[in-house]
Amino acid sequence: MAEPRSPVSASVPHNPMVLPTPEGSSLEMDPMEYTLRKRLPRKLPKRRNDVYVNMKTDFKAQLARCQKLLDTHREICIHGLGLAINRAINIALQLQTSSQGALQLAANTSTVELIDDLEPEDPDEAGEPLTRTRNNSAIHIKVFYPNP
Amino acid sequence: MREKKMRNQPRNVTYTSAGRGAGRGQGSQVCGWVRGHQPGGHGYSQDLPKYITASYFAKARAAEVNAMLKAASSPAGSCRVFSALPKHMRRRAMSHDSKRLPLRLREGALRLAERSQRAPDQQKKPVPKSRSRRARRRHGNLLLEFNRRQKKSRWLETHIWHAKRFHMRKSWSFCVPLTPTAKSFRASYRAMDTHALLQDLSYFCCLELQGSEDQILRALARLTNKQTGRTFAAVSCLSGARQGILQLYKADRFPQGSLGPAEFLWRPRAPDASLRQLWIWLHPALKQEVLSELLLVCRCSQAVSEDRHPEADRHPEADRHPEADRHPEADRHPEADRHPEADRHPEADRHPEADRHPEADRHPEADRHPEADRHPEADRHPEADRHPEADRHPEADPAGRKRKRKRDGGDTGPPSKRLLGDGTRPAGAPVRWESTDTHITIRDLTMEIVRFRLIGPLAHTVLTDTLRPASEMLSGENESLHQQQTHTFQLLRGVCSTAELPAGCVLGLTVDDPRLTLPQKRGKTVPDPQLSTEEDGVRDLRLRGVPAHCSQSSLWDESTRECVTRDRLSDRELNRSRSALLVPGSRLSSSSAVPVLLVHHAGRVCGEERRHWGSGWDLLLPKGWGMAFWVPLVYRGVRVGGLHMSVKHSQFMGQPHFPHDYPDCPAGVRFQSEQELELLEKFKRRPPSKRTNFIKHGCLAPFRCPWQQLTEEWEELVSLSEETASRDETPFTVLRSLKELRLLSGWIRHRMRLRMTPDPPRTRLRMTPDPPLTRLGVTPDPPLTPAAATALQQEFRRSLIWVRLRLLSKGQPALHAMVCVPTTSDLQLLRTDGHCSGPQEPRHTDHLRDPQEPRHTDPARSDPQEPRHTDPARSDPADPERRERVLRGVCPPPLPRVVSHCSRQTLGWVTQGDFSLTSGCGEALALISLTGLTHTLLTQPKDQRGLLLLRNPSSLQYRFAQISLDT
Repeated sequence: MAEPRSPVSASVPHNPMVLPTPEGSSLEMDPMEYTLRKRLPRKLPKRRNDVYVNMKTDFKAQLARCQKLLDTHREICIHGLGLAINRAINIALQLQTSSQGALQLAANTSTVELIDDLEPEDPDEAGEPLTRTRNNSAIHIKVFYPNP
Repeated sequence: MREKKMRNQPRNVTYTSAGRGAGRGQGSQVCGWVRGHQPGGHGYSQDLPKYITASYFAKARAAEVNAMLKAASSPAGSCRVFSALPKHMRRRAMSHDSKRLPLRLREGALRLAERSQRAPDQQKKPVPKSRSRRARRRHGNLLLEFNRRQKKSRWLETHIWHAKRFHMRKSWSFCVPLTPTAKSFRASYRAMDTHALLQDLSYFCCLELQGSEDQILRALARLTNKQTGRTFAAVSCLSGARQGILQLYKADRFPQGSLGPAEFLWRPRAPDASLRQLWIWLHPALKQEVLSELLLVCRCSQAVSEDRHPEADRHPEADRHPEADRHPEADRHPEADRHPEADRHPEADRHPEADRHPEADRHPEADRHPEADRHPEADRHPEADRHPEADRHPEADPAGRKRKRKRDGGDTGPPSKRLLGDGTRPAGAPVRWESTDTHITIRDLTMEIVRFRLIGPLAHTVLTDTLRPASEMLSGENESLHQQQTHTFQLLRGVCSTAELPAGCVLGLTVDDPRLTLPQKRGKTVPDPQLSTEEDGVRDLRLRGVPAHCSQSSLWDESTRECVTRDRLSDRELNRSRSALLVPGSRLSSSSAVPVLLVHHAGRVCGEERRHWGSGWDLLLPKGWGMAFWVPLVYRGVRVGGLHMSVKHSQFMGQPHFPHDYPDCPAGVRFQSEQELELLEKFKRRPPSKRTNFIKHGCLAPFRCPWQQLTEEWEELVSLSEETASRDETPFTVLRSLKELRLLSGWIRHRMRLRMTPDPPRTRLRMTPDPPLTRLGVTPDPPLTPAAATALQQEFRRSLIWVRLRLLSKGQPALHAMVCVPTTSDLQLLRTDGHCSGPQEPRHTDHLRDPQEPRHTDPARSDPQEPRHTDPARSDPADPERRERVLRGVCPPPLPRVVSHCSRQTLGWVTQGDFSLTSGCGEALALISLTGLTHTLLTQPKDQRGLLLLRNPSSLQYRFAQISLDT
């Protein structure tokens, strides 16, 4: 995924950063450096037929895993977040193609709230470390054999 | 002529028949047995006497013949009768049954058997008669034995549990579990990765500082530096809501004088108290150094002795008393005079009040000897005094309670298990210091608080399953606070992974005795997906962590801790009340509440991959409660790991582990020497022909890395071209300054981004500067230029940096593998063939080979013209001491230049290396010279920047590795 940490700063005074805070108000950042650390997206309780697609594992391996799951389950759920949406769709379509139309797809999209920690470079004077939330899109594709 | 050969004829005795021939003169002289090897058979024929007298000759031989006959007829003392028999007459078990011998030999055999039976009684030393096993296993005696065995190295509370299942190791004056005896490496890794791994970290030392916040911060500011990250004044930690990790240095000596890492935790501000409390958790290896620095910066010169044990530090020589060592308990217990052993030591009876723990004060006998304070022998065991309450081992409990009960009734019982002192401080050392100047009190809380660590994404699930918030409160606790803490704790159930929580948050809690809810069978805790929790609360918890006021706990109060430890129900009593239950198996009503602290520890926070891997919770308990929490935790299906797993945990996280990876700290230096000895011993245990010849492999330092020499040589090498060589004795340091590390990381990372993105269109996209950087308008780090590199080299001349290396193809890096600089042709090789395994080091010649070894002694090579450079062992063969020191295959101490010894320049060495289960390839953590690294980076092309070579000490094969520096 994207860069996990990079110095974030708003050292340009005429262009103050406005960050959304959890309270809903907006916060003006001081001209000081923060380190951005992204927290992991929320894990959801996982059933056996859930597949969470990522960008690190080999595409073929993920496809094979889904194929294998379809042998035992009538339906599987493929989830992709952010950058992995593309790949999730790709996997689902590949599955459908290779099944010669036996499989059907049902896609849902959603928004996932992600949390970033902003750690001040200078922890003594900076005040509290900031936390901000941002949203990212996700897709959940149900791949299933239709009932006869 | 065929020589006659007798049966059983010794090889060096030959019967020469040549004498029979005529013309040899005195045939009687030549004929017969001649001793010694005689190639021609005529060895002695030159100086024969002219004549002999037959009677004299026969008389002289008669004695010899007699002796020979006697020797042949009766076997020698050492050999058995039957061993003289020919093979075909031997029978099985002849020594057992003399009837199997031929009749003529039977008598002698019987006589011999009788003698051998009698012999041991006369010769064997009388074995000290040990008591019967039954007596030894009696509880009191067992405890005596336990107490004796932990005089040198202190046991953890879970020691007996561990000792049954783990290889134990005595280090840092603790007996710590090393690895399980069962095969469990992969299972433990899986536990860390998907479930939870449990460790007992009670051997970590806690120092408590108490005083006004300003004074403490002002004093401690001298020990830390902002450049290395957090200090004690970090705002998030100062409120007490978070635990922080920082790097300690000697007072005011920042770049030098590194001490080691420490965790710190402030007590949340109480509304009415002005004093703050601070806990500093340290590894036992660095405790003494930190303590002395703390005493210095806080100006605490006064050791305050506790009221209960006023003379704890007045008799440091106490332990040397021989009787005291042999009978540790005898003189410490008022009831020792009833003990059978105590009778042998009358002075034990005379000073029973040496026992000064509070229970003893209640004892009527204790007051009868007022002169005890004046008597020096009464204090022979000062460490017994420092632990006022009998710290009962869980398994030792029944005896302890029995003794208490009996004493109340005026009776005496067996001595109780007591944990004596702790190994990290000398016996009799004070545990509390006060300063009249700064009003800071420092206390040594080592072993006062039990610390368990749970690692893994489901650690919180295990905790919520094991701990139940207390149904009744401790005295002096706030009802509403308890409610809020309970509520927060319940919210944890809704969290899916430990990694979701903010790093280092702290939750105080008062819980019931977990033994009451012990499941019948050991199972495995899994999160319940059907569990409905309030989403808002969980979201808030994930976003902001535990509120600051919920971090308060009465575990901070010494009196509460003591009280809770004292009131602990023993296993025996618990089982008794359990058996008295009306409905078997129903839940017992709780009688005790235990204050605990839950401290979250973030896993891998820096770096790109595997973020938050290895996060978990620490569980802090009052002492004495270790086993009561340990077994219920184990029953929740966690794996238990030892010291080895801690090392692996930090290795998989990509973090340095103390003291392995801190060669600039005193504790790290000590560790290195120990490791060197250990490795050398291991090396010497192999037969010489099976040892690795490190000289041939071009490995100069297989056992201990010469860091100082490395930094000096690199500095010299780089500055030679700039003509600014400087010679001084600055010790090397490890660079921990975040700003510079970040800069270097940016220089190295340039290439990694290319590798991470597989498909071409994306690569082009990611090649543009970082999206966050441009968006937030920060000036990017200066690019790698010779000027910038030189500036960095000038500033940190003798610095090492700690990097991670990942092998590009196969290979498994080992300890002290060399990190080397690839040549241009190596890089070219990799560019043409991406899967090439790497270059080879030409085999070095071993000039130190032992000249006396026959296998290599070749007359052609041993002539004086043989080149003998770098050969200190041979240059003075007369020096025996020197020859002694030289070990074959290991380079002797004055090392040649380490950097340019091999065909590739050496940058540094690996401190931890293994196949990494998290990344699926060989990974190593190494310390390399900063000067060397910047020098290397400058010469490398942009797309191959940060590529280095790795070579194991026992191999000639270099492997390509990608370096990465996480900040």
